[in-house]
Amino acid sequence: MQWFDALIQGILLGGMYAQYALGMALMFGVMRIVNVSHGDLVILLSLIGISLASSFGLGPFAVMAALVPLAVALGWILQRAVLNRVVGEDPLPSLIATFGLSLALQNLMLQIWSANSRSLPGGGIESRSIEIGGIYIGLLPVIVLLVATGLTLGLDLVLKRMRFGRALRAASADVEAAAMTGINPRSVYAMATAIAVGILGFAAVFQSLRSTVAPSDGGAQLIYAFEAVIIGGMGSVWGAFAGSMVLGIAQAIGFRIDPGFGVLSGHIVFLLVLALRPQGLFGRA
Amino acid sequence: MTEVLSTHGLVARYGDFQALYDVDVEVHEGEAVALIGANGAGKSTFLRAILGLLPVKPEMVHLDGKPIGGTPTDRMVQKGVAIVPEGRRLFTGMSVSDNLRVAIDQTSRLGRKGGWTLKRLYQLFPILEEKAKTPVQSLSGGQQQMVSIGRALLCQPRLLLCDEISLGLAPRVIREIYTALPEIRAHGTSIVVVEQDVGLAKSASDRLYCMLEGRVTLTGRSEEITREQIGEAYFGGGHAVV
Amino acid sequence: MTSISTTVDQATPPVVNVRRQTLSGVIALSLFALIIVALATMAWWAKTGTIRMVLELCCYIVAAQMWNMLAGYAGLVSVGQQAFIGVTGYAVFVLAQTFGVNPFLAIPLALVVPAIVAIPCYLLLHRLDGPYFAIGTWVVAEVFRLVASNLGWVNAGAGMSLGVMRDYSGFERNVAMSILCALMILVAIGGSYWFLRSRYGLALIAMRDNPVAASSQGVNVRRLRFMIYVAAAVGCGFAGAVYFMAQLRINPPSAFDPMWSNVAIFIVMIGGIGTIEGVVIGALIYFVADRFFGEYGASYFVVLGVMTVLVALYARTGIWGMISKYWDAPWFPIRRHLMVEKEDRS
Repeated sequence: MQWFDALIQGILLGGMYAQYALGMALMFGVMRIVNVSHGDLVILLSLIGISLASSFGLGPFAVMAALVPLAVALGWILQRAVLNRVVGEDPLPSLIATFGLSLALQNLMLQIWSANSRSLPGGGIESRSIEIGGIYIGLLPVIVLLVATGLTLGLDLVLKRMRFGRALRAASADVEAAAMTGINPRSVYAMATAIAVGILGFAAVFQSLRSTVAPSDGGAQLIYAFEAVIIGGMGSVWGAFAGSMVLGIAQAIGFRIDPGFGVLSGHIVFLLVLALRPQGLFGRA
Repeated sequence: MTEVLSTHGLVARYGDFQALYDVDVEVHEGEAVALIGANGAGKSTFLRAILGLLPVKPEMVHLDGKPIGGTPTDRMVQKGVAIVPEGRRLFTGMSVSDNLRVAIDQTSRLGRKGGWTLKRLYQLFPILEEKAKTPVQSLSGGQQQMVSIGRALLCQPRLLLCDEISLGLAPRVIREIYTALPEIRAHGTSIVVVEQDVGLAKSASDRLYCMLEGRVTLTGRSEEITREQIGEAYFGGGHAVV
Repeated sequence: MTSISTTVDQATPPVVNVRRQTLSGVIALSLFALIIVALATMAWWAKTGTIRMVLELCCYIVAAQMWNMLAGYAGLVSVGQQAFIGVTGYAVFVLAQTFGVNPFLAIPLALVVPAIVAIPCYLLLHRLDGPYFAIGTWVVAEVFRLVASNLGWVNAGAGMSLGVMRDYSGFERNVAMSILCALMILVAIGGSYWFLRSRYGLALIAMRDNPVAASSQGVNVRRLRFMIYVAAAVGCGFAGAVYFMAQLRINPPSAFDPMWSNVAIFIVMIGGIGTIEGVVIGALIYFVADRFFGEYGASYFVVLGVMTVLVALYARTGIWGMISKYWDAPWFPIRRHLMVEKEDRS
């Protein structure tokens, strides 16, 4: 029974990771870029959200309504001001630029918010739980998972059905040919990063509701997003979603074995996937 | 005839390597112009330079008499210049209809009007309708070329650039594709055909330019130019104007 | 410049000399030899505080040069070299403290560890594409940190102390640190220079400039990358072994500190990637900045981060790249210059 419980908790945790992983999978799929400051952006948005909540007395969903548009704008600016200048065959410039950004952001947050851990008051929803067949399931993790599923579904639909999605897929297949068909790669990229960071607006609210955040936490979030994408297999948003579930389950089960082993067992599953199935569990060979 | 495209002393380079030297080419409305030359003569470079894929000065390329050299590729499409690129360059992983939809999406976004619709395209290449749901990477070479042409046409071009569209295709398929060209011209679209096959280029064009080592070595009306002249211009010798 | 006159008479082939050394190179090489000697004799002319400071600088230079070999030549961008720094540091402590090996002998012995550890790491990580490789190296470093934090016989999260160093006098320790500094710089800078001028080094430069062409020229790109990765692991390990021996203490967060990557990347990018000169310049800048502005803590790192972004956006070749555009006087000349007789322009 306790393993079944760990499995459920793992899936719910995976819902959190999926919200980080979607944006990373999207950006890598379209531009072959990894934004090293991905995790720091989550933390930045969380801290802004916490400050908003305490200054204006906003509830968590009001904070979300403010953060998501802010995140979209942040992503758009990030792409226009920085990433559009470093997209290209060579992975080095984009890595270095976002690496420097990560260093700057982390320390800027340290100055503004100090090194203390904070969290977003949820008005009770963070501690409410429902009992199903002897297992207590937190209400908040369920909401997180539902939102993650909704975001994945929505992103998948956008990519498959909408004009912007087709332009995005075209640009990721062959950016020069896409431009020859009238697509402006830079605005498509800016939209993609706006969506990727926009999703982090949701993630930021949930992250700061379910646990605490501190300026130095970004690196861990980046690594979880990355592991989820690789475990699931590149090339589809559902791969990233499924990879997040696997990572969440691995961490939850590891944590049951020994609390010091939780994060590590996620890393080990990642390395095992890399060794045995480098294209990812759900990726095409 | 009104001039659609003209280049004036067009110069282009890849880093330190100069690939085009003072190239002057004109294309008039409704005209088909062929560009021939050996591998590395600068034909594809010429097309890339027009499309803003290589840095060139504004006054080197004119569209409707206005200097537009160096305009980004997507803006050139907006202005009515489309290309069937060398190697087809389809969007792999997407179906035939999605590949074509991308072009329709963009022309409607850019507000370009024109006579080409999916229906007309399917009349021109019926096989594409049959394969509409097939991922493009599992099509034959000829079918892929049709998708590439179709994608360019759905950009509603006034000027269509065709880069080596016969390359790697069976003679029967090449004939099928080239018989579509008059139909395209019937819409008032001007065409620039880049070809290595001289016979094909001559028969498909009103005028032709022959290039050698980045320079135009021969220009004239296609039916008036002789094989000997082309041979000389193709492999070297003096500049000849007919 | 590598251009040669092309208007040479066809009938008589030109007399061509291959020149590999330049005046600036000879001066720099003599200076380099002088610095090595000065480092090795520090114990006799410098205070302990100075020696420690120089030792720290030497460790940064080595870590930066190793990152430079990976990212600037082999095209392998790593943000996890701290894995090898920490592992080797721990190896020294375990050998000396747990098994009673002489600590100075423990350093060369410990270098076997990063070499062995790097092999499976590379075999796993090279499957990751470009930017994903970088994050993968970070995961590996995190795995090492977490394993060390949970491993009882390296005292888990509490870390270890190098108590055996008490058996040596202050002067003896200073002599050892001085010689180790000289050795580290000799191996990292001298060794890199020697390597880059060798057949393999030229192949590496060819590979960096055009991997497809280089592999078609018979250069085994994959094996070279692998060799560089292992060599860089050992180089970083050397720095880690010396650094933590001087610190006398090691624990998981300090051993596997991502700060090592931050500093290495900053030094190489500011100084100029793909050049040894750049590493030297970048390390000096970092060191001076750290002395003067280090006390400002977070705001200092904000500036470092922003500068790294600006270099990536606007000045990819760094300071040395800008200098060498106007002043062609390499300190570590690598290119072979074809000199046509009577046209010798130097």
